[in-house]
Amino acid sequence: MKRAYLFLTVTALAAQQGFGAIGCTLSNPAQDLKYLYPQMTSYKEDLNEFPRLKDGASLFKALRERLGSDLDPIYETYETPYSVYSVFEGQTKIGIVHGVNVPGKGGVIQVFLSTDPKTAEIKSFFFQRLESPAARALKAKEFRGQFEGLTLGDFYKHDYYAAVSPGAKADKVGAIKPPALDASGRPDYEASLRGLRKNLILLDFFVYGRRFEPFFERAKQAAEKAKAGKE
Amino acid sequence: MRGLQLLLVSFAFAGASIDAQEPADPFADLTDSATAEPAPPKRSFFTDNFGFRKEIMSEFDSSDHGQPASRQSLGFEMLKKFSSGTSTLASFNFQGRLVRRDGFQPVLNDMEGETRGGWAFEYHNLYLDLYNLFKNVGHLNFRVGRFYVPFGLNLQTDTHGTVLQLSNEQNLGFERDWYTGLWGTINKHLNYDAYYLAGSGYDLKYKGQKGLGALRLSLSNKYSSEYGLEGGVSVMGGERLSHDTQRPVETRRVGVDGRYRHTAGPGVVTFTSELSAGRDVPDSVYSQLIQTEYLHGSRRWGVATQYRRFELERMGTDASIIGEFTWYFRNDVGNSNLHWIKLNVERRLQRMPGSPALVVALQYYFYR
Repeated sequence: MKRAYLFLTVTALAAQQGFGAIGCTLSNPAQDLKYLYPQMTSYKEDLNEFPRLKDGASLFKALRERLGSDLDPIYETYETPYSVYSVFEGQTKIGIVHGVNVPGKGGVIQVFLSTDPKTAEIKSFFFQRLESPAARALKAKEFRGQFEGLTLGDFYKHDYYAAVSPGAKADKVGAIKPPALDASGRPDYEASLRGLRKNLILLDFFVYGRRFEPFFERAKQAAEKAKAGKE
Repeated sequence: MRGLQLLLVSFAFAGASIDAQEPADPFADLTDSATAEPAPPKRSFFTDNFGFRKEIMSEFDSSDHGQPASRQSLGFEMLKKFSSGTSTLASFNFQGRLVRRDGFQPVLNDMEGETRGGWAFEYHNLYLDLYNLFKNVGHLNFRVGRFYVPFGLNLQTDTHGTVLQLSNEQNLGFERDWYTGLWGTINKHLNYDAYYLAGSGYDLKYKGQKGLGALRLSLSNKYSSEYGLEGGVSVMGGERLSHDTQRPVETRRVGVDGRYRHTAGPGVVTFTSELSAGRDVPDSVYSQLIQTEYLHGSRRWGVATQYRRFELERMGTDASIIGEFTWYFRNDVGNSNLHWIKLNVERRLQRMPGSPALVVALQYYFYR
C-alpha cells in the first residue's frame, strides 16, 4: 500500500492534461489505480456534481448535517465536482476510489479512499496532497492502516458513543490512536478525520445508495434519547 | 496461591461491572452486511460525465505611455467523457469565448489579441483524448486537437484565466497549437508527451511550414505528491509560422523546467522556473522565467512575482518584472469554481522594439 501511496498524484495546482474543470481527481488515474489494484484491467471515471443530481440541493444540505460542521465556502462549494473511479478486473468491479479536498492549517488536504464495492468498507486511506507541518506523522502507514475495514456506519455510531458512552468497546472510530503530534499538528489531524468522513458520506450518496442512513438516524435518535433521559 | 485466585476473581467481577455500565447497543438490529451496489441512475448525454462551465472575464489595462485597453469576454468550457460499462474510453474538451476588445496592450494573457480588435469569437481548448490504447492502461493515450504546447510547464498548468503566464507565448509566439500524438507513463519515475504540431498557433493553417516535433519527459506524479516537485525536459524542432511575418521559421528549442511547492506558515509557497535555448534560424534564442507565488491557506488571497527575459539575436531583448495580487471570492482546489479580482503590475525593463514602460492590468474573472 505504501507503493500505492507513493504514486498518487496532485492535481490542484497542476490541472494536468487539461481537466481543469474537475475537482479532486487523479491526474494520471491509470497509473495510480494500477498501483492500488495491480490486477486492474480497466477503470471508469464518473463525474458527480450536486447541481446535476436529483435533489442535489437537499443532498448538499444533508452532507453538512452528516458531517456535523459547516462547509468551507472556498474548499467545499455546492458546485464542486467529484470524480469516482470504479476499478475492474475483467467485468468484475474490484474497487472504488474517491478523493475530497478539505481545508487544513496550511492549505489543502486531499483525502483519498479506496473502498470495497460490496461492503463499502475502507480498503485503504491515503493523502494525495497534504500541506501540513504534521504531514509525516499523518502519512505514517501505522496511523492510516487503522482505518481499514471501517465503514461510514462506524463513524455514525461513533457520534453516539462519543456523546453517550465514551470509550465503549463497540466504538471502532473512538479506538483509533492518533499519531504523536504537537499542538501545531492537531488541527490537521482533525481536518483529516473530517475529510475521511466527508469522503465516506459522499460515497454513500454517489455510489452506495445511502445504505448507512439508518445508522445516522439511529445515532441521532439514540443520542437525543440518552440526553433526554439524563435530563 | 489463594491470594492470586482472589485477585483474578476480583478482576473478573470488575470487568463484568464495567460491561454492565455500558448501555444497550442501539445499533444491534442494524446490519451493514454486503449488499449489491444499487444501479446508477440513467443519465443523458448532457448529464453523464458532462461538465459545463460559464466564464466571464473583464480586464482593463493601461501603460504609463497611455494606451488604455479593455478586453471583455463571455465564454464557456465543456468537457465530455465517453465510457463503456467498465472503462473510460475518451474525452472531449472545448473552450470558447466571445471577446470584445477596445484598444490593445500586449499584456501577458493577451499577446495575440492585437489582430482581433472589436468583437471576435475565440476558441482555446479544442481536443479529443483516447485513453489506454490497445488496453495498455496508462502507457498509450492519444490526443488530437488544440491545447497547450508540450514545451515547459504549460502542459501541466492551467493558465487559461490568469494574467500571469508562462514562457511559450513569448518564446514561440503562441502558447497553444494544433497537434496530435501520444502521452502517458514510461515508468514509475517518468511521464512522456510526444507530438507533431502544426506550428501555426491560433489558426490551423499551413503556409509552407513543415510543422514541429516535440518531446517532453517529465517527473511522474509521485514526485509532486511526495516532495511537491514537478519538472521536466523538453525538446522541439522543425518549422513554425512566425507570429510576426507569417512565414516559416526553422525552429529548435531545448528547455528545462521545474516547480517546487512548500508549506510556509499558514499557506503555500511555489517556486517556478523555465529555461530554454535554441534557434529561430539563423538567430539564437534564450528564454528564462522565474516565478514565486504565495497562496494563503484560506485560499482567499495570493501574491506572485515573476521575472521573464527573452533574447533573440539581432532583434534584442524583452525583459519584465511583474507583481500581482489576487483576492479570491471562490478558489476551488481543482480550478472548477473560480471567482477573483486581480491586480497585475508589469515593469517592462527592456523591449524589442520600444522603450521601457509600466503596465497595470486589473482583471475580474468568474468561472463556474
